[in-house]
Amino acid sequence: MHCLLSPRTLLIRTSLAALTLCLTMFLCSLAGSEKISLQAVRQGAPQTGTPNPDYEIFVRIRMPRIVLAAIVGAALAAGGVTFQALLRNPLADPYILGISSGAGLGAMLALVSGLSWTVWGRSPMALFAFAGALGTVWLVWTIGRLTGRFHVTGLLLAGVVVNAFFSAVIMFLVSIAKSQHLHSTIFWLMGNLTEEDFFVLWVGAGCVTAGIVSLSFLGAQLNAISFSPDDARSLGINVERTQLAAFAIAAFITAIAVSLSGLIGFVGLIVPHAVRLVFGPDHRQLLPLSSLIGATFLVIADTIARVVVAPAQLPVGIVTAMIGGPFFLALLARYSRKVYWLK
Amino acid sequence: MTKWWMLAAMLAAWMALGRLLLQPPEANATRAPSSSRDPTRIVSLAPNVTEVLFVLGLADRVVGLTQYSDYPPAATAKPKVGTFWQPDIEAIIALKPELVIVARASERQRDLADRLGRMGYDSLALDIWTVRDLFDAIAAVGEATAREKQAEQVLGEIRTKIRSIQAAVAGKPAVKVLWVVQREPLRVAGRNTFINEIIEIAGGENAIGPTLHKYPPIGGEQVIASGAEVIIEPDMLGGDLSRQRIQARSYWARFDSVPAVANGRIYVIEGDTVSRLGPRLVQGIEAVARCLRPQLFKE
Repeated sequence: MHCLLSPRTLLIRTSLAALTLCLTMFLCSLAGSEKISLQAVRQGAPQTGTPNPDYEIFVRIRMPRIVLAAIVGAALAAGGVTFQALLRNPLADPYILGISSGAGLGAMLALVSGLSWTVWGRSPMALFAFAGALGTVWLVWTIGRLTGRFHVTGLLLAGVVVNAFFSAVIMFLVSIAKSQHLHSTIFWLMGNLTEEDFFVLWVGAGCVTAGIVSLSFLGAQLNAISFSPDDARSLGINVERTQLAAFAIAAFITAIAVSLSGLIGFVGLIVPHAVRLVFGPDHRQLLPLSSLIGATFLVIADTIARVVVAPAQLPVGIVTAMIGGPFFLALLARYSRKVYWLK
Repeated sequence: MTKWWMLAAMLAAWMALGRLLLQPPEANATRAPSSSRDPTRIVSLAPNVTEVLFVLGLADRVVGLTQYSDYPPAATAKPKVGTFWQPDIEAIIALKPELVIVARASERQRDLADRLGRMGYDSLALDIWTVRDLFDAIAAVGEATAREKQAEQVLGEIRTKIRSIQAAVAGKPAVKVLWVVQREPLRVAGRNTFINEIIEIAGGENAIGPTLHKYPPIGGEQVIASGAEVIIEPDMLGGDLSRQRIQARSYWARFDSVPAVANGRIYVIEGDTVSRLGPRLVQGIEAVARCLRPQLFKE
């Protein structure tokens, strides 16, 4: 496992992960609170009169939701890899620099203000969350820069403090919000996957895939930077530009994920670590593999969230933490003895 | 650098293709629901609406309800489609409903009605916050289910009973009521609630003045300042009223300067008739009126 990554290994592993994802998505689309028959689904949408519930449930309810889970899982995992590399901190996740609280604040403002227009079937909550996420990252980045050129500690501290401050504002808004809003709030803050319109999914998938591919383009530079920025500079890498680009792209795809699904914790933290533990820390491989495995993980977690207390459902964030935590600890115990960079 | 340009070009092509193949949701939301004037398969997502449906004689047309839609008892036998806060869209579609009645109070239900609408299912969204809204809702349900006559009759009965209660308390000084919805932390019903309407119809007055919250959390200071003459607690323990009475007595003992506590006028009453704004409203108002003036309204 310590040998260099050959293009062939990378291709095989990526294809296998992609195959697993497709298979998982198919299997998970068969599970749900209602039993449906694939035969009835194949008959397609009815031309007239009588509805075909099996088709509608499969195509218009389950598939969009599973695709959404895959998009969000991939985005969060890739975001997590990037932030861990840039901040050179194993505790980093996509939310560490305040994206979560910024998005949460945006969503709460939209909720409390009672706006009700929609764009592309998205409520103002999603758009405000997206704007809040990007605005907060920009704020943290600017403050962090004041403490020195990409000073990691300054950036992290700025992120933590902004997170804490915005969380307090969110709690203030929650405490004065109307009681009928509280339930939406809880679901939003714990991860809220619902079926989305195909067009929204199409746009989201395009942006997230493009983001992950461009982060993979930066994989080699990220390898050098995560090892040591000074050495990277001496290798002729434009460290500041790479950092800025990777940072902006990771923030962008995370913001998309958050605006589509609320705050889903844990995926962006443990999936990158798990992949690193098993396959090694090379970012050229880590990025595509983490994205695919993150997508698979969230699809499974969301299926559990849909099914386990049916006909009600759990916020998916609970499931990611409850199955992800123990699974990750087991991996840690099993592999960490062999892995040099944890020592 | 070329790979970046290629990526950008591919992204642009993907977006263009998406625009070509798929329409933004607003564009295809136009498939008009097959409005039937006399729906035979009705799903109700709120307990109070369920009660309205049963009162209008639609019991055998109701095919799905949310959990806790438990009145009248016949409702418990109907298939369940999730909870009020989390209706399950799969279960609803599987029932092939002709009319889905949702509560606008819940964003999820509003959203669900939109999504069902896009798939061609009919829905009726009701916004029930006040007694007046309830009257409108009963009329609206009657209209949507071709039961206008029954609705009118039900409304007439409710109105007559309310008027007779109002007549009985007219001209008497209002009794100050503290309406407790939760003890720890203490939360009471504020002025901008239908509870407040119930209290006023029954000849009382809310002991708490106008507040920011609908159901404000309050401290001991406000309890004492309220000067409540009667404290009412609707059922919080799922039906065990006698246990709640014992708990209430020991909890409120610390506020012995409040007239209600000093005179032992703390009442624990059935919950559903006063927490669901439905056709049993009159029973709730009568129960409250009995608490306020026990000698005037006997069982």
